[in-house]
Amino acid sequence: MIVDPSEFVSFSTWFSGAIAGFAFNVLILMIAWLVLWYAFTVLRHGPTEAILIIARAVTDFFLVDGPNTSPRRIGAMARLAVKESLRRRVVVVFAVFVIILLFAGWMLDTENDHPSRLYLGFVLTMSNYLVLALAMFLSAFSLPTDIENRTIYTITTKPVRPMEIFWGRVLGFVIVGTVLLVVMGLVSSVFVYRGLYHTHEVDAASLQTDSQLARQTGETTHDSHHRHDFFIDDDSTSDDGTIGTTDPLVKEHRHMVTRHDDGTIEIGHPQDQLRARVPVYGKLSFISREGNLEERGLNVGKEWSYRSYIEGGVSQSAAIWTFSDVTAEQFPEGLPLELDIRVFRTSKGDIESQIRGEIILMNPNPDPQVDPRKTRSTPLPFRATEFAATEEFIDLEDIKYQDVDGQLQKLNLFEDLVDDDGNLQLLIRCVEHAQFFGMAQADVYLKARETSFWMNYAKCYVGIWLQMVLVVLFGVFFSTFLTGIVALQATLATLVLGMFGGFIADIQSGEVAGGGPIESLARVESQEGVTTDLDIGEGAALIDRAFMAAMGYVADVVPKYPEFNTVRKVAYGYDIRGSILARHLLITLGYFLVLSVMGYFILKTREFAA
Amino acid sequence: MDSENSMDTSAQEDASLVDQTKDVIEQSTASEETSPELGEVIIETRSLSKVYRDFWGRPKVNAVKALDLEVRRGEIFGLLGPNGSGKSTTIKMLLGLLFPTGGKALVFGKDATDVSKNERIGYLPEESYLYKFLNAEETLDFYGRLFNMSSARRRSRAADLIKRMDLEWAKRRQLKEYSKGMTRRIGLAQALINDPELILLDEPTTGLDPIGTREMKDLIINLRDQGKTVLMCSHLLADVQDVCDRIAILHQGELKELGRVDDLLQVQDVTQIQARGLSSAAEKEILEVIARDQGELVEIEHPTATLEELFLNIVRESEAEAGAEKRSMSGIESGDKE
Repeated sequence: MIVDPSEFVSFSTWFSGAIAGFAFNVLILMIAWLVLWYAFTVLRHGPTEAILIIARAVTDFFLVDGPNTSPRRIGAMARLAVKESLRRRVVVVFAVFVIILLFAGWMLDTENDHPSRLYLGFVLTMSNYLVLALAMFLSAFSLPTDIENRTIYTITTKPVRPMEIFWGRVLGFVIVGTVLLVVMGLVSSVFVYRGLYHTHEVDAASLQTDSQLARQTGETTHDSHHRHDFFIDDDSTSDDGTIGTTDPLVKEHRHMVTRHDDGTIEIGHPQDQLRARVPVYGKLSFISREGNLEERGLNVGKEWSYRSYIEGGVSQSAAIWTFSDVTAEQFPEGLPLELDIRVFRTSKGDIESQIRGEIILMNPNPDPQVDPRKTRSTPLPFRATEFAATEEFIDLEDIKYQDVDGQLQKLNLFEDLVDDDGNLQLLIRCVEHAQFFGMAQADVYLKARETSFWMNYAKCYVGIWLQMVLVVLFGVFFSTFLTGIVALQATLATLVLGMFGGFIADIQSGEVAGGGPIESLARVESQEGVTTDLDIGEGAALIDRAFMAAMGYVADVVPKYPEFNTVRKVAYGYDIRGSILARHLLITLGYFLVLSVMGYFILKTREFAA
Repeated sequence: MDSENSMDTSAQEDASLVDQTKDVIEQSTASEETSPELGEVIIETRSLSKVYRDFWGRPKVNAVKALDLEVRRGEIFGLLGPNGSGKSTTIKMLLGLLFPTGGKALVFGKDATDVSKNERIGYLPEESYLYKFLNAEETLDFYGRLFNMSSARRRSRAADLIKRMDLEWAKRRQLKEYSKGMTRRIGLAQALINDPELILLDEPTTGLDPIGTREMKDLIINLRDQGKTVLMCSHLLADVQDVCDRIAILHQGELKELGRVDDLLQVQDVTQIQARGLSSAAEKEILEVIARDQGELVEIEHPTATLEELFLNIVRESEAEAGAEKRSMSGIESGDKE
C-alpha cells in the first residue's frame, strides 16, 4: 500500500512545522485582507474614516461581539439550518446511497481476489463523495437564499452577532452531515458484513486421511466464487472437537474447521478478512552497487518515483530498514514481518516463479569488543510475491550466525542484534541476477499487533467527517459574500484544488514536466514533447513562474483532502494511527479559526439590504 | 313661555357649547404638556445620507439627503412619501441593514450598526420575510432564541402573541399555508417577541384588507398606549393620518415637512363645527351668526361616513347577525332535545 512520506514524520516534528506554516499563511492572508479592506473602505469613506471603521470593526470583534457570542443563538441558527436541510430533502441523498447499495452487486466484481478491499473501498468512497457533495450544496446555498429571500433581515435586526450566523450555519450542516454519515456507516457495515460473510460445506468426496501424519485433508464446496483446501490434525483438539483450518489463504481469508466427536465436519465463518494491522515502520536507506550508503536506490526508468530499486545477484546493492523500540516484550516469540516488495524483471525467466531474496538482521551500533560475526545474522531466505504482501515470521530460534569454524550458532535477537537504544537493522537483498526489488519506506514493516477492525472503520469515517466539516466551512465562508451558484463553484474549486494539490505542487516544482500555461500552450502549438527544452522568452517564462508560484501558494493554502482520506488503509487492513487523526483534527481546527474570522468580518461589513 | 323656554334652551345650549369648547381646549393643552416632543430621544439622525453606487463605485442614486430627525419616546412617528422617496432606506439604515454614506444614525444613543441596540427593537419588514417551512410556534420560538430568552419565557411569550394575533387556530400550520393577513400578523408577532421599546414598521398595512388594516392600526395605537415608540413608514396617507402623532414627509430623499399631524393638517382660517340633533331653526340661527360676524360660509352639509367606516359597520353587523342566528339555532336544537 502506498503511504504518504509525511506520515513517517513524528507528531511533534509535524506540529512544529505546521504551526510555523500556519502562522506564515495567516500573516500573509491578514496583510492581504487588511490592504484590500482598507482600499475598498477608502473609496467610500476617505482615508481617515477608513482607518476608524477598520479599527472599530477589529475592536468590536475582540471586545463586543466576541464576549457576547451566545451558544443559544448559535443553537437556534443551527436548528434552523437543520430544518432547512430537511426541507431541502436531504434524505434523498441517503435514499440514493441505499439504492446504490441495493444494486451494488451489478457493479462490483464479486469474483475479485480481494473482496474486502473491494467492498470497503466501494462503500467508504461512496459515503465520502456523497457526503461531500451534500455538504457543498447545503452550505453554499443557505446564506445566499436567506439574502435573496430577505429572511436575513429578520435575523440581522435581532441581537445576532456575525459569528453566530457563521457558526450556526456551520454547526447545523455539520449536524446534518454527521447524522447522515452515522446512518451511512451503519448501513455500510451491514452491507460489508453481509457481502463478505459466507460459509462452506465439506465436499465429502474429497476427504482423505493420512494416518502417517495423523491428518485429515479435504476440500470445501464451491461457494461465493471460491473453495478451500483444509486439513485437520488429530492432535489439535478443543472442547468442540478436533480443529483444523483451511490453507492457504483464498480471497484473503481462511476458515476454522472443526471435526466433532460424531465425525461431522463443520466449516466456520471467514477469518482474517477484516483486519486492522498496526505496522511499525522503520527508516529506509540503500546500499549502492559499490557499497555506499545512499538515500535512494536505483531508478529503473519508471516515471513514478515512489519506490526505488536494488539490483539482484552479485551486486552489493541492498535496502536497509532501521526499526526503533524493538523489545522482547513487544516481540516475545520473533519478528512478524510483512513485505510488500515490487519486482522489476530484466530477464523473463519463469514468470510464475517468485523472485528470491534474503533478509539479514544486523546490530546498527555494534560493540567494538564483540566479535563482528555475532552482530549480523545469517541470511534468511524469502520469496517476493508480486502485487501482494508477503507475511514472514522470523522465529527467534532461526536467528543464527556462522562461527569461525563455519558452524551455525544461535543469536539472541535482543542482546546481540538490538542495540542499547532498542534499534535493529534489517537488510534486504535480491538474490537473483538481473532482477530488481523495488521498495518504499512503507513496504517493509513489523506487525506489532492488530486492533479492532470496526474501530478502524469508525476512524475512517472520522476522516470523512473532517473532510465534510472542511467543505461546510468553505461553503459557508464563500456564501457570506458570493451568490449561491458562485459560492458552490468556489467551494468545488477548493475541493478540486485540494484533491490535486500534490499534482499542482509537482508541476510547480518541475517534477511533472511541461512548464506553466504559456510554455504548455507553446508546446501544444509547436507539438514539442514535454521533456525537450523549449525557449519561450524571458518575459513569458517570468509570467509562467509567477503564475505557477501563485497556483502553488493557492494549492498549499487549501486543504489537502487526499491526506484525510484513509479509505485505502481500512480497505488494505491497516490501522489508522491516532496521531494521524490528531493531525487532521488540528488542520481542520486551523481552517475553522481562519475561515470563521474571515467570515465574521465579511458579514460584519456587509450591507444585507444593498 | 315657549319663547322663554326656547331662550333658556338656547342659553343652556350656548353654555354647554362653551363648556365643551373649554374641555377641548383644556384637553388640547394637556396633550401639549404630555407631548412626546418632551420625551427622551430614541432615534436621531444627523445629516444622514445614503448614496447607492454602481459596481465601479460611481454614485447612482442619492436615496437620502442630509436627513435630520428626532423620534421621541412614546410617539408614533410616520415617515411618509411616495415610492422611492427614501423611507425604507432610512429605516434600513436605522436597523443597520444599510450603512450611511454620510452623517449619523443613532438609536438609543448608539450607532445604528451596533448590534446590541437590537435587544430593544422590533422590526416588521415590508414583506413578512419569514421562514415558510416553520409554523407559528416554531417561528416565534426561533426568534425568541435569538434574543437569548429562556425556554419558559419563549413559550409564554409565543402563546400570548399567538393569542393576541388571533392565530391560535393556525399555530401548527406552516407559514407557507398562511394568507397575506396571517403572515403580516405573525410578522408583527415576531417583531414583538422581545417586548421591544421601539418598533419599526415598514408599510405595516400593505396587503391587508380593511378589517386587517383597522386591526393593525388599533394595534399600533395600543402599542403607543403601552408607552412604546413606533416608527412606521407608509405611502398610504389615511393610515398615517389615523395613527401617527408626528410625521416627516420625504420626497426624493429630502425632508420636505416635519411636525405634528394635527398641526400640519390644520387649516387656520377655517372653523369647523360638528353638532348632532340641531333643528333647522338652529342651523338658520348659526348662519345668521356667521353673517352678522362677516364670516364667509364655505360649506354647510350633513357629513358622510368614510368608506372604511361603512365597510366595517356592514361586516360587524353581518358577524353579529351570524352570531345571533347561530345562537338561535343552538337554542332551537337544545329546545328540540328538551
